Amino acid sequence: MKLYVYCVAEDVETLDQPILGISGAAVRVLKLKDLSLLVTDLETDAVPVTGDNALADAAVVRSILDRTTPLPFRFGTVVGEEQLGNYVSAREAALKAKLAELRGCIEMSVKIISDQIQPEPRPQDPAQGPGATFLAAKRREILGDESNAARAAEVSQWLHKQLSSLIRNEQVTLRPTDKMILSAAHLVERGKVGLYREKLAEMRQNRRDLHFLLSGPWPPYSFANIELELKTQFGVS
Amino acid sequence: MELSPKNPLSAEPDVETAHAEEFIEQLRCVTDTLPSRINIDAQSVEQGLAKLVLTLIEFIRRLLEKQAVRRMEGGDLSPEQIEELGLALMRLEAKLQELKTQFGLADEDLNLDLGPIGRLI
Amino acid sequence: MDVAVIEEWEESELSLLETLDHVLNRGLVIAGEITIAVADIDLIFVGLNVLVSSVETAHEVLRKRPTE
Repeated sequence: MKLYVYCVAEDVETLDQPILGISGAAVRVLKLKDLSLLVTDLETDAVPVTGDNALADAAVVRSILDRTTPLPFRFGTVVGEEQLGNYVSAREAALKAKLAELRGCIEMSVKIISDQIQPEPRPQDPAQGPGATFLAAKRREILGDESNAARAAEVSQWLHKQLSSLIRNEQVTLRPTDKMILSAAHLVERGKVGLYREKLAEMRQNRRDLHFLLSGPWPPYSFANIELELKTQFGVS
Repeated sequence: MELSPKNPLSAEPDVETAHAEEFIEQLRCVTDTLPSRINIDAQSVEQGLAKLVLTLIEFIRRLLEKQAVRRMEGGDLSPEQIEELGLALMRLEAKLQELKTQFGLADEDLNLDLGPIGRLI
Repeated sequence: MDVAVIEEWEESELSLLETLDHVLNRGLVIAGEITIAVADIDLIFVGLNVLVSSVETAHEVLRKRPTE
């Protein structure tokens, strides 16, 4: 019997109200090692990979967010009941430590779009051969990339400096060559979410050159993962 | 504890922006990758290996381009050298394009997700 | 179409996309994510967990992979 696993949490005995999960199936609480896992019993082994199922998964995890901070499993986590039991036994300490670490917090998200910086084209030498022309175009592209990278770094540092007193942790991805140069996940204490939002409103006013997308609160997707002991150096185990 | 101004039990998160269209455009890439990232079957193992190899070559190619531009900017190269270098890099780019087509890989496919570090390219 | 309707549609598509962006590729992983590290720096995450095809197919696929 396969289970689809949504998340693991502490102190969840039952669901406040019934909720439908993957493919409209029921969700129940499974208790292992005094941890609570939200699961769905699967009729078949396969779960269709659809946007709807991803949203259903998100809704299930979110349904307990108001009362506790869960650790979400990666979308599509399908396991046998025994394998799940083994996983929880083996990782019990790490899971509990992670839950303690994230207790009382939620994830907020900031994404920033910025206009690309384009460098000036160099005056062309009309006698230039194809190789030189190729390199001249690459030069524009690459130098543009470098100033964009510097810009993304500057924005990232500014963001961090402004918010550091309000966040417990952050996970930042920079994509200097895209329009969306920065995507940040912030771990914020529940009590500080109001201040965090206010601060961001202020920051948006101060940087009209940037376009912001703010969202949250989210379950701590970006901070939930625990380490697996499969690392080796220079090789794959 | 109140988490959001909307109904606390709502399944929809709070999303706030003055530039919805722009962000929709950028975020669409996420849904584009939805099927291919998660589905694995026997055929795509070979393709997966080709992806890995070509991504690494692509990575090196870009490093070479950067190096060439740097040398060019530094006034380090004669016009003949620039031409020769440019032609060689042009051919490398074309060859890689050929290989991508052969394996049915698009530009977006050639990228290694390095987890927390981000993408290789 | 008046402006209010367009905004509503945009809002729900954005909400959907944002949710997907958060749900996918993040969160706890139960098995088989392998880190290839060089000098303590994680370089490559190879996701071996075949998430939504059947477990038997996954074993087949993994057995076919060349081993070093």
